[in-house]
Amino acid sequence: MTASPSRPWHTSYERAGIAPDLEPLPYRNLAHLVQACCRQWATESRARAAFSCVVPNGMNGRLGFAQVDELSDAFAGYLRAVLGLQAGDRVAVQLPNSLGYPVAALGVFKAGCVLVNTNPMYTETEMIHQFNNAGVRVLVMVDMFADKLPAVLAKTGVQQVVLAAVSEFFPAVPGAIVRGVQRYWSRVLPPVTVPHVRLQDALAQGRATLSRTPAVTYWDSIGRHDLALLQYTGGTTGVSKGAMLTHDNLLHNIQQTRAMGQSHMVPGQECVLTALPLYHIFAFTANLLGFLSIGGHNVLIPNPRPVQNLQRAMENFPITWMTGVNTLFNGLLNEEWFVAYPPKTLKASISGGTALHTAVAQRWRELTRTPIAEGYGLTETSPVVSFNPLTGTPRDGSIGIPAPGTDVRLVDDAGQDVPAGTPGEIWVRGPQVMQGYWNAAQETAQVMKDGWLATGDVAVMDESGFMRIVDRKKDMILVSGFNVYPNEVEDVIARMPSVLEVAVIGVPDAKTGEAVRAYVVQNPEHAQAVTPDAVLAHCQQHLAAYKLPKQVVVRDELPKSPIGKVLRKDLRKAVAEETRRA
Amino acid sequence: MLSEFETKLLGMMMIVIMLGMGASLTWRDFRIAFRKPKGVLVGLLCQYGIMPLLAFLLARALDLSPGLTVGLILIGCMPGGTTSNIFTYFSKAVLALSIMMTSVSSLVALGMVPALLEFYSQLAGLESGFKIPAGNVAQVLFVLLIPTVIGMVLRKLNPNIGATVELVGGFLGVMVILFLVVTWIPRNHLLLASTPWYVFCAAIGLGVFGMALGYGLARVLRQDPNRSRTIALETGIQNGPLAVLIVTLTFTGPMQQEVLLIPVLYSLFIVITSSIVTVFFRRKSQAEALARDRAKDGSVLASS
Repeated sequence: MTASPSRPWHTSYERAGIAPDLEPLPYRNLAHLVQACCRQWATESRARAAFSCVVPNGMNGRLGFAQVDELSDAFAGYLRAVLGLQAGDRVAVQLPNSLGYPVAALGVFKAGCVLVNTNPMYTETEMIHQFNNAGVRVLVMVDMFADKLPAVLAKTGVQQVVLAAVSEFFPAVPGAIVRGVQRYWSRVLPPVTVPHVRLQDALAQGRATLSRTPAVTYWDSIGRHDLALLQYTGGTTGVSKGAMLTHDNLLHNIQQTRAMGQSHMVPGQECVLTALPLYHIFAFTANLLGFLSIGGHNVLIPNPRPVQNLQRAMENFPITWMTGVNTLFNGLLNEEWFVAYPPKTLKASISGGTALHTAVAQRWRELTRTPIAEGYGLTETSPVVSFNPLTGTPRDGSIGIPAPGTDVRLVDDAGQDVPAGTPGEIWVRGPQVMQGYWNAAQETAQVMKDGWLATGDVAVMDESGFMRIVDRKKDMILVSGFNVYPNEVEDVIARMPSVLEVAVIGVPDAKTGEAVRAYVVQNPEHAQAVTPDAVLAHCQQHLAAYKLPKQVVVRDELPKSPIGKVLRKDLRKAVAEETRRA
Repeated sequence: MLSEFETKLLGMMMIVIMLGMGASLTWRDFRIAFRKPKGVLVGLLCQYGIMPLLAFLLARALDLSPGLTVGLILIGCMPGGTTSNIFTYFSKAVLALSIMMTSVSSLVALGMVPALLEFYSQLAGLESGFKIPAGNVAQVLFVLLIPTVIGMVLRKLNPNIGATVELVGGFLGVMVILFLVVTWIPRNHLLLASTPWYVFCAAIGLGVFGMALGYGLARVLRQDPNRSRTIALETGIQNGPLAVLIVTLTFTGPMQQEVLLIPVLYSLFIVITSSIVTVFFRRKSQAEALARDRAKDGSVLASS
């Protein structure tokens, strides 16, 4: 069972110029990385920003590398010397993309504490579950959602709340305008009724302690195998669990992510558009840590929806890199301003989170004349497992080859390796695989098998090690005993120009057990209305009869996760309720 | 009617408003707008086709005096006001189209407004004393182009300053009208009381009929309801403060008083008209969204 698999992808490394052995980064922990990189890039280029935050009207604030280093030190001082936290204590950061995020998150590492990334849109129930499960002692939260605090604080062990604004670290006038607009115009700033401290005050208090105890004292003894991050994931099982990621996991995955992009990266010269939320593992590792480590400039977008919110950022910053998900790239391709003026400085883009549709990838390449490649990963793997090299012929629909240092097996239900070309569940072993779920031995045992992580994703691998996701095990539709993979049907429908977005799920069917149902969203830029008949006619040309959608529903929008993944499970839930009522 | 100080203040405010409009623009926006020029062209047709003609016809139908006629025609020939963007925003209509229409009509104004004024003044048979010299108008418009270009440059150089100027300009657009109301009404309430009904008809009717016709024409030219609502607001809402400024720079004494009456009344009432229309449009937009929701269930297709 634990025998090393054959590694057919190693031949592909040579062709792509990727070293098969991973040279780990020379840092003892993430705090060390932050300090070393900030100091290096602050001296090499004083004028360069490490982070900018751009709101939809173009107003922006920025932090240089030296500031990030200094401010995260101050926050570490606040957590340890002022609040009296110990190494390993959990601190939740619940912020949208904004300049307070890197200060707080990197400050947590410098305090030797454990970061708990939390979605700002979480409901009170979700917050209570997560904070209690993780044993959170300090919460850094965006002031826009402070109205949830009374209910949450009463039922959790959170001792101190630090509030930060979206416009944190903006210059005075734009900062005041953004706050004024939030308060009086859009009225998104609720009154705060619980004891709290503002981020700026916390930083001032923390800074005052640094002369007595420099921040390095807090992180010096933190080892690579100590816990760094509790990253919560709903997975498909429902209850949210915290994946335990160590400094070593993340340091390795930064290396693995860099291996993917190295052909199109020059340290100290990149500017990455960070439209995906940093509290999600993809942007956290790739954008925040990855680009910080090569002296890149992160352009943070607090809210990428509607997609037009990205316009001023793309106009005003020389974006060279983008990370995104299918819906984001597709959304941009449907924006007039983007199609008319695709960013000239762009070098490459990486898509993750969910399958990148072939039609989207091809249009993206045609329009921007830059490569876009899909990577694959999970919260449990920090996240990158595999990627398509950016060089060479693009292989759309493939999730690429395992990242350097990663072993992958495809296994059947009995846990036996399947031959090349046969679908099997992806099992992963490598330095980026989590230590398990926090306080959830049973759930951990379900996915960790003899050092391998069972992903629940079904894929096939070809002779050169390239994998193609067939689907989530749980998303598969069984039509009269035949397996239908929603991804395949979606990919076909997405090629219709009148379709903006599509999602496919299985619904109960009296005759066939399950039937295929497609949800489509009209492309507003396309003159022709999308109709169920047109979708069906199109599918008949490209799909076998049992894969054809039996039902087509035209909708205004699809349910999506915070990073823009279409949520099939929400669609299924709605169907289940429909059936119950009927 | 307006003191010299007030005229200067108005001029300064206009400059800031145009700075703001410039800061909301890039060259790219124009090029993007003309990739699919139909919306903007329909807008221009409403702006410079419907409105001046409507003003002329209203003046004829109500048999207005030459002084009132020139004021009404002047308002009719004005480019779109920047306040239309704010009303469009609240109507949940197409903001980008509104901004583009305001900008394009303001640029085209340089040639269009003097020509139209000349044409309709002739048609109305105005004596030369009541004509606004084309050169004057062109001069004012040209002078206002300078802050517009400065606004665009500011935005390019520093996005923070650009966005600030943009906001201040938009804010001042509303303030100018409030300023007119606050300073002008108390001093002129007697005049208002003695103003005959048909003058109110002209001042209010231009905006109301302008919006209705703009909507109708946009629909006829196959713009969807939401874009048509945008075009309606854009058509009905003229740059009133600009008309007031041109009048004060051209006429003096009692003549100024007479010519200014309709532009000022128009500027006051268009805010009220637009607010009512905005509430109505907003409901329409929401009803349409709801109808689309309901239509979802109906579009399920059972193919077997």
